[in-house]
Amino acid sequence: MAAIAFTEEQIERYSRQIILPEVGGVGQRKLLAARVLVIGAGGLGSPVGLYLAAAGVGRIGIVDSDRVDLSNLQRQILHATRDLGREKCTSAKQTMESINPDVTVVPYPVRLTSSNILDIISGYDMVVDGSDNFPTRYLVNDACVLAGKPLSHAGILRFEGQATTIVPGRGPCYRCLYPEPPPPGLMPSCQEAGVLGATAGVMGAIQAAEVLKLILGIGDLLVGRILICDGLTMSFRTVRVERDPGCPICGDSPSVTELIDYDDFCGLRVPEEQYHE
Amino acid sequence: MSDGNGCVTVRLHGALRHEAGTRDIALPGDIGTVGDALRRLGEQYGERASHMIFDRNGNVWRSLILLVNEEPAKLGPETQLKGGDVISILLPLAGG
Repeated sequence: MAAIAFTEEQIERYSRQIILPEVGGVGQRKLLAARVLVIGAGGLGSPVGLYLAAAGVGRIGIVDSDRVDLSNLQRQILHATRDLGREKCTSAKQTMESINPDVTVVPYPVRLTSSNILDIISGYDMVVDGSDNFPTRYLVNDACVLAGKPLSHAGILRFEGQATTIVPGRGPCYRCLYPEPPPPGLMPSCQEAGVLGATAGVMGAIQAAEVLKLILGIGDLLVGRILICDGLTMSFRTVRVERDPGCPICGDSPSVTELIDYDDFCGLRVPEEQYHE
Repeated sequence: MSDGNGCVTVRLHGALRHEAGTRDIALPGDIGTVGDALRRLGEQYGERASHMIFDRNGNVWRSLILLVNEEPAKLGPETQLKGGDVISILLPLAGG
């Protein structure tokens, strides 16, 4: 089948990346045909969404059940003051499609659960985790491993960030790195310990670069490596990490073969009698 | 094993750095293994920090990534140290 020709506007819009030998017209067509699901339209999801839309990733899903709050705007650069109170998904879609009309943004204003995640990710080639809590991070990891979808992971706190890329069957998954969630309430959130907006920007940009590389099939991904960013000393380093053959989800004999209750796994399930008090 | 030629340094990350209020901690004295260094840290920085390092059974929490001089500590807490070694402790970051 003959490739669809670019319009003059597309050639100009993407000219700075089409002239890269690693991208070219072939790569640009791959980007326009790609489908990427971004989980969270927050600190990480914002730069990811902006860069993927600008690069011409054709279909971008955005999952977020929250609404835009004033305290988000210091780092969640998909949203503006005029968006206060709006669904983040709707705000994100408007911003991303206004950057690039080639892009279709599909909003999912829902909380991800074991019941809906596999259905949602089935329509995408890869997933970006920009969530903000441990139950979602384990849920997304497990779903991606079970569905065989590549996953870009990043986490941030204060001035620090970590990023890794998970390609099921090619390297470790999130559970290989962090087999057990921390006890609930022990680890401070960004709400409690703070986060520099630019930290989210740096790490989200790294995730976006990983996604684009994966779609294009170029370079070396952060598979089997964690990139650690220390924003206070502005130092970056990568640490080698290996797949755990005993991993319960991606190991040689996995004990987890379907999605579980991740609130329960992370110790967050409130006993019923306590819930009704 | 560490000796008088240099302290073992522990480089904290994430929530543990926030809890301790510092990035690098020099541990003087006899620090034989990574586990010894972790126990010293737990004693020095209180219960909350200790809960980030040890599980409820007193074992080193499985989700710590331990590095010695930037290389994975192959024997985990049992990894032997010498003076001048730098241990890095990585914890998962949930924030996004």
